[in-house]
Amino acid sequence: MGLIGNIRAGMRALLGRARVEREMDEELRGFLDASSEDKRRAGMTPEDAAYAARVEMGSANAVKHRIRSAGWEMAIENLWQDLRYSVRMLAKSPVFTLVAVLSLALGIGANTAIFSLMNVVMLRTLPVKDPGQLVLFGNGRAAGSTSSLPNQSWQLFSYPFYRSFSQKSQVFSGVTAIDSIEFATHGALAGEGHEMLHASLVSGTYFPVLGVNPWRGRLLTEADDQTPGSGAVAVASYSWWQRHGSDPAAVGKTIHIEGTDYTIAGIAPPGFFGISVGELPDLWIPLSMEKEISPGWNGLSDKWFQSLYVVARLKPGVTVEQASANTNLVFQQFLRSEYLGPSPAQKDLADVAHAQIELNPAARGLSRLRRQFTLPLEILITIASLVLLIACANLANLLLARGAARSREFGLRMAIGASRSRVVRQLLTESFVLALLGAALGVAASWRAGHLLLTMAISSPEPAGMNVSPDLRVLAFTLSLTILTALLFGVTPALRAAQLDLTASLRQGRGIASPQSRISLARGLIVAQIALSLVLLAAASLFLRSLVNLTRVDTGFNKQNVLVLNLDEYSAGLPLDARLVNLQQQIEDRVQAVPGVEAASFSMFTFNQGEWSDDVTVQGVPRTPENSQDVLHNVVGKGFFSTMSLPILAGRGFNATDKIDSPKVAVINQTMAQRFFPDSSPIGHRFGFGDDPSHSGDIEIVGVVKNAKYVTLQESSEAAAYFPYAQRVQYFGNFEVRSSSDATLMIPAVRRAIAEVNPNIPVNSVSTLSEQVDESTANQRLIARLSAFFGLLAAFLVCIGIYGLLSYAVARRTSEIGVRMALGAKRSNVLWLILREILVLVAIGVVIGVPVALEGNHLVVKLLYGLSPADPGSLLAAVAMLVAIALLAGYLPARKASLVEPTVALRCE
Amino acid sequence: MVQKPGEQKSGDMVQGTLEMLILKTLALEPMHGYGVALRIEQVSQGVFRVNPGSLLPALARMERAGHVKSEWRSTENNRRAKYYLLTPRGRKALKDETNAWDRQTAAISRILEA
Repeated sequence: MGLIGNIRAGMRALLGRARVEREMDEELRGFLDASSEDKRRAGMTPEDAAYAARVEMGSANAVKHRIRSAGWEMAIENLWQDLRYSVRMLAKSPVFTLVAVLSLALGIGANTAIFSLMNVVMLRTLPVKDPGQLVLFGNGRAAGSTSSLPNQSWQLFSYPFYRSFSQKSQVFSGVTAIDSIEFATHGALAGEGHEMLHASLVSGTYFPVLGVNPWRGRLLTEADDQTPGSGAVAVASYSWWQRHGSDPAAVGKTIHIEGTDYTIAGIAPPGFFGISVGELPDLWIPLSMEKEISPGWNGLSDKWFQSLYVVARLKPGVTVEQASANTNLVFQQFLRSEYLGPSPAQKDLADVAHAQIELNPAARGLSRLRRQFTLPLEILITIASLVLLIACANLANLLLARGAARSREFGLRMAIGASRSRVVRQLLTESFVLALLGAALGVAASWRAGHLLLTMAISSPEPAGMNVSPDLRVLAFTLSLTILTALLFGVTPALRAAQLDLTASLRQGRGIASPQSRISLARGLIVAQIALSLVLLAAASLFLRSLVNLTRVDTGFNKQNVLVLNLDEYSAGLPLDARLVNLQQQIEDRVQAVPGVEAASFSMFTFNQGEWSDDVTVQGVPRTPENSQDVLHNVVGKGFFSTMSLPILAGRGFNATDKIDSPKVAVINQTMAQRFFPDSSPIGHRFGFGDDPSHSGDIEIVGVVKNAKYVTLQESSEAAAYFPYAQRVQYFGNFEVRSSSDATLMIPAVRRAIAEVNPNIPVNSVSTLSEQVDESTANQRLIARLSAFFGLLAAFLVCIGIYGLLSYAVARRTSEIGVRMALGAKRSNVLWLILREILVLVAIGVVIGVPVALEGNHLVVKLLYGLSPADPGSLLAAVAMLVAIALLAGYLPARKASLVEPTVALRCE
Repeated sequence: MVQKPGEQKSGDMVQGTLEMLILKTLALEPMHGYGVALRIEQVSQGVFRVNPGSLLPALARMERAGHVKSEWRSTENNRRAKYYLLTPRGRKALKDETNAWDRQTAAISRILEA
């Protein structure tokens, strides 16, 4: 009988129990009969023979038990018994079970939720073929376009470079280029209305290199990406297809985008989102259509227009080092032949001496989210696991107390023959049942919580294509966590419970081997809980104070009562000239005329929307390292400063005299004024972009405006310059409206006013300036909220722990307290006696916890604003809170002790 | 497991010895449990008496290990009894265990006689 036979026999024994029992009985009876027959033949009387045979065999039940033990099914039967018994025991004490399961569910659920987010953001590989073979050129942190030749690792590449490189390189089985910007545009499917579309421009090699198969139709190929303007086809994402009713006839339809008709060639498979985690394009369009999708862009032939990411697939067997060497060789040749010319000057050579391409693994794609959330998620999972540890310590304590209360039961079981190991196993089974119940509840909750966390963390822009529902990796994580948890809180109490002094426990009904050592173990667990929750509370109060500091930062502008509309001017169909400016001024004027509106203006940026920066040269001011730093630029309407409530401190703001053909003007902020004109007025001075000292200085400074925050709340005072859009014609996405009262009430009137001017301009979204400011601190907000929640949870668990410990201690010391009171101790003495014990524990916990907290807080320094990680206020607050909690939890048992009647107490022993 | 009457305490045998004795016994012919016990007692001239509390669990273990298989047959006096048969795997196990046993006893004798 091999393994299969063994399993089959086991199953038979489990299922056909009655038959197996019958056969066993028959075999035993046969044995007895044969044996006694032999003995009779040897001369015994039948009675003696039968008796002797039975004595030889011993207890038939014991023999049968040993026979049954030969198979594995016995273990299952025992497990089943233990499980049923565990459930019965847990059902008998519902309060204990509820507390245990809930605290475990919170602990395990929180860890699962955060881990499932980590899984999506940090761990999961791209849903493509062999993601491990993919490499990204550069680190993927830059986005947009650049015309410079960086003398360091290159991040963005031109289309000509991609073309020439993919021909020359020998180490890759394929190379693809992806526009670093996902374009937001508008389009209409034949026969349907306009919709907002996110389009990703990719080279024809994109899908073949990633190794993706079409869901419907076909994907893009090299043939689609040939001459500029020739590949008017698009591959739609699965979710776009679903939004359109999963139309089986979608393939082959045309979609009209900004003047061009694209044929839908196919649908990408479900779950495919490209290479950027957290972004999900609706359409993939060949790079050959770049000019059609993004009209000012001219990248297909211009080697200075570098705006692409390059991703390549390593040939099998080629290492990253080999690929890197070959790539940089080809890159250097390209640099010389295309940028420097055949006989480069020494200076030019020196300028690109360090230019190189760094190959980075791209198996997990690239992600803005990953950069932003790795540290916060790591901090959160640390916090959540500390909470789980506290919950474990708490449960261990509860189980110890329970073990003491159940010692009579264990004594009885051992007395009738259960082995110690059997009792330990039974208790461990109970712990596992608890842990599994907690985990099941926790996972169910985390299903929801994962999404909640995601939207809490990443409210804007909406993350797309991210599936946070638990996958196998998450379930494996949770399962191992559950097992670890059960062992952590279950093993010690189980071993303790089995160390019984049998006779004592049966006689007294509650004696346990050494109550003193139980108490000291319990005290140790409480100290550990106090130390851990001190760490959590200190971190929580740091994050909260840091967030408060952030919300108190002076933004410079007034964020109240300002709407920020995101609209798409391009849909008006106007070219980039005075007609567009006219339209923009009409919209501003019309909206400004709405009752309740104080000011309205278009602008390139409001706050926390990215930046356009460049260095500037001011005529007559020599360049220094200080004034060579980048200046932030913004292009705004003439009502911008009043819309943002930024007062003009000198000179003037923009007005109707600033036209496309009038002299170019700029308004600068205080920091820029101080940087370039520390001692004089900047009004009337001229400057130009770039570092050329002989610059014409075509822009005149006409005013100085108050400083503001531009990109983040944390930034120090940045130099900034504003330009009127009348002199820099462009399409705007931002339109700001200041009203005299609650801005959100103005939304319908403002939208109506815009539609009156031009009904073709869609308003994509409306938010408020204060929402934008809040969103810029989403990270800090998330951490502060969650760490506060976990801190309070930890404190609550400690509360339960202390209460349980003291109640037990008071119960044990009832007679001692009675004696003390009989001898004249006052109630207040007794109260103090008990509370003193808890204060000692808190003191020890604090002494252990403070250094740990100080050490741990250093890890989060990057996320703090205006605080030192060793901030004494936060630590003091945490300590004070712990002492208060401990006294609160200790007071009830202590009061109970102080109310002991000496006569009653002395009689009860 | 295996007891030597009269010298109760000295009879603790090397682990697995009983199973080797059972294998050897069954190598001659299929037998029921009592037959195995009787044969071992007879051949050892009463030195080993195997009680059913050890023998039957050992047989069950060996059946699970695939060394023996069992079937219900009629005995010589027309009773139904569970007969145990050696499997090819059991035959191989017997050979292996006998060899190991020979090596061990030879080694022990050498030590004792040295």
